[in-house]
Amino acid sequence: MDEVIFLEVLEGDAVQARHRLEKLPVTVGRGYGNDVILDDPKVSAEHLRLERREDGAVVLHDVGSVNGTFNVQPWARLQELVLTPDARVAVGDTVLRFRPRGFEVEDTVVNEAVPRERLFERPRAFALTLQALVAVAFISERVTQFQKTDWGDLLLAGVVPLGLALLWAGGWSLASRIARRSYYFRAHATIGGMVLLGFALSPPLFALLSFSFALGSGLAVVRTLLILGLVGWGLYWHLRYVTRWSSKRVVRGLVIASVGVLVLTNVSVMLGNEDFSEALEFPRSLLPPVLRVAPAHSMDSFFEELTPLAEDVDALAKED
Amino acid sequence: MVGYGAAPMFSLLLVAVLAQGPAAVPAPGPLGPPGPPTVPVPVPDAGVADAMVPPLPVASLPPATHELFRRIQGRVAQVRIIERRSGTKSSIGSAFFVSAKGHALTNYHVVSDLVLHPEDYTAELDRGDSTVPVRLLAVDVASDVAVIQVEAPVADFFKLEADEPPQGTRLFAMGNPRDLGTTIVEGTYNGLVRDALYERVHFTGAINPGMSGGPTLSGEGGVVGVNVATMGNQVGFLVPVAKARQLLDGALKLEAPPDSAALMVSVREQLLANQQRITDRLMATDLPKQALGEYRVPGRWSPFLKCWGDTPHDPETPYTVTSYQCSSEEDIFLSSSHRTGVVAYLHQHVTSQKLGAMRFSALYSTLFSQDPDPVSATREDVTNFRCNSEFVDVGGLTVRAAICLRSYRRFPGLYDLVLRAATLNASTHGVDTSLTLGGFSAENARKLARRYLEGLSWTK
Repeated sequence: MDEVIFLEVLEGDAVQARHRLEKLPVTVGRGYGNDVILDDPKVSAEHLRLERREDGAVVLHDVGSVNGTFNVQPWARLQELVLTPDARVAVGDTVLRFRPRGFEVEDTVVNEAVPRERLFERPRAFALTLQALVAVAFISERVTQFQKTDWGDLLLAGVVPLGLALLWAGGWSLASRIARRSYYFRAHATIGGMVLLGFALSPPLFALLSFSFALGSGLAVVRTLLILGLVGWGLYWHLRYVTRWSSKRVVRGLVIASVGVLVLTNVSVMLGNEDFSEALEFPRSLLPPVLRVAPAHSMDSFFEELTPLAEDVDALAKED
Repeated sequence: MVGYGAAPMFSLLLVAVLAQGPAAVPAPGPLGPPGPPTVPVPVPDAGVADAMVPPLPVASLPPATHELFRRIQGRVAQVRIIERRSGTKSSIGSAFFVSAKGHALTNYHVVSDLVLHPEDYTAELDRGDSTVPVRLLAVDVASDVAVIQVEAPVADFFKLEADEPPQGTRLFAMGNPRDLGTTIVEGTYNGLVRDALYERVHFTGAINPGMSGGPTLSGEGGVVGVNVATMGNQVGFLVPVAKARQLLDGALKLEAPPDSAALMVSVREQLLANQQRITDRLMATDLPKQALGEYRVPGRWSPFLKCWGDTPHDPETPYTVTSYQCSSEEDIFLSSSHRTGVVAYLHQHVTSQKLGAMRFSALYSTLFSQDPDPVSATREDVTNFRCNSEFVDVGGLTVRAAICLRSYRRFPGLYDLVLRAATLNASTHGVDTSLTLGGFSAENARKLARRYLEGLSWTK
């Protein structure tokens, strides 16, 4: 073993304290007479002793501890142990690791991208996103309300998404503060605002697509994927500000979560179970006639479609 | 009576539905689940009709009625539908003997469980001193009559009258209302119901749940009709005796009672024949056009359809919706949960001077998203709907149309159809229309729906 060795006190995988041992022998225990003091009530006052043998090897002795000393892998009680690089022993509730000075560390992690100012951190992005959110929410409420104008409702429709975005950002900021000692409030609010903006814009967008091109059920799949994508995108960036995980790890987690959500929500459809329903499933959006792009079919072709429909429902009747 | 939107047409429809229903609720209780239910009818002239009802006879029963009752009491019996697993009655009705060989007449709706669930139900007849098992020989679902038979010969039975009596004839309805014992009710014959889709005699007298399937007699004791339904307030309905005789004649010729599969086949054939009759009747007449704003929409296609219209006025609402709806208001009872033989449609003309094109679209989409109530049915009766939606050119008028179909599980070849369409020729007015056809073949449904959609046009 090396001339200089390090004694590391572990907490999980992380090192809680590291002691440089230059001269042996060294004593380890809870008492203040030791070279290395461990604050673990299950460790004896005099617990361990490290010595260098004549052949240069470092040997660990248990000096009559109450609760004993254990080799970690494989787990075994020991009286004496010749230390190898990366050896681990347990005393009381504490795990100790010994490493020589010559221990080889892993390669430096290369930064994924050149550090630059992110879009969400620009002051104007914050202001613009929230203004756009309020404007879009207000307009869509106004356009979809065909009753007598209620200004209270309109005002509320604009304010609620704004409050929601700020509240949402507050939650994430606290998480960032705890995990990374910094709030990033503006970035979180911008991300949340952009996601809400996406939610506010998607119904009119889908109504337009559904009407103009006379699209049917295929659109529902696109819509589900888009919503998942939007939520996934928002969560990705929130998590990047909260954790130190690599982007690959975050993406992997989100993909697994999205697939899980998709499977759980569609499990009955995938199994071919359909609940009994008297509902009529067809697209309902009606927009001003000028927005229609799809051609109008002839009466003949429209009523031709009844034959395959009849076959469809006959097949359903035979199923069970 | 007509409210706003799609609701009113179907409140009327519901009337027709209930009017034939046995309300077979399995509620155990001293009354037992009765035959035809009482039905409140929200017709606009209900108050007037009420006033026209002749007052009940205040005096005690005249001697003739008393004698009549004593003479014929034994010819009427209570039918009990027995649920096999609980071994007790799940619903009751009345029946009356019409042959020495033990043939008796009742309503189809009294014995419908025997047809649809022969493995779960049996029937017995309570003859006062004893109960005897009953077998089912024939049913007519469109007229709501059935022929049943008991093993033992019967000494005393009714004869069916050959002719309809003149209007105003005093009649006597018999039956077992609410399981209270055999009763006799006086009333008057008021002819066949005008413009009815399914022939019914209008009997002015109290017919109550449990009396279903009992006879209505002339003063001489001949049967002139079979009790079938009530609208309350002394408005009762009978199956005309001619329909009962027709079914009985067929049943008397049977050598052996039919098995349950053969009964189902006969019900299917009757439903097919009935929808063919309605289709022929509608296709033989031109679809009259009804003006609704600048549009022409399908009007009252046939006298059996009853049409209503309304425009709610609210000065604060920035648009107006005028509704026009027609419905057969009658249907065929297949089971307590399944009705068929229905034609109904609703138009809603929407216009606004105050809303812009986008806000009008939101209103119009909301109306288009509301479907009329479908004909009542459950999972074991029908499949789910399947729809097809397109822009369709109706004689130069562009509409967004959807056609939906569901299949009958027990009666292959029969379907419920819903056609929905909204005109798209203007940005601040339009007509939203829906057609409901219950229990038609795919081909007939297509013909009727097409004729209906062709009835839609714009006059400018």
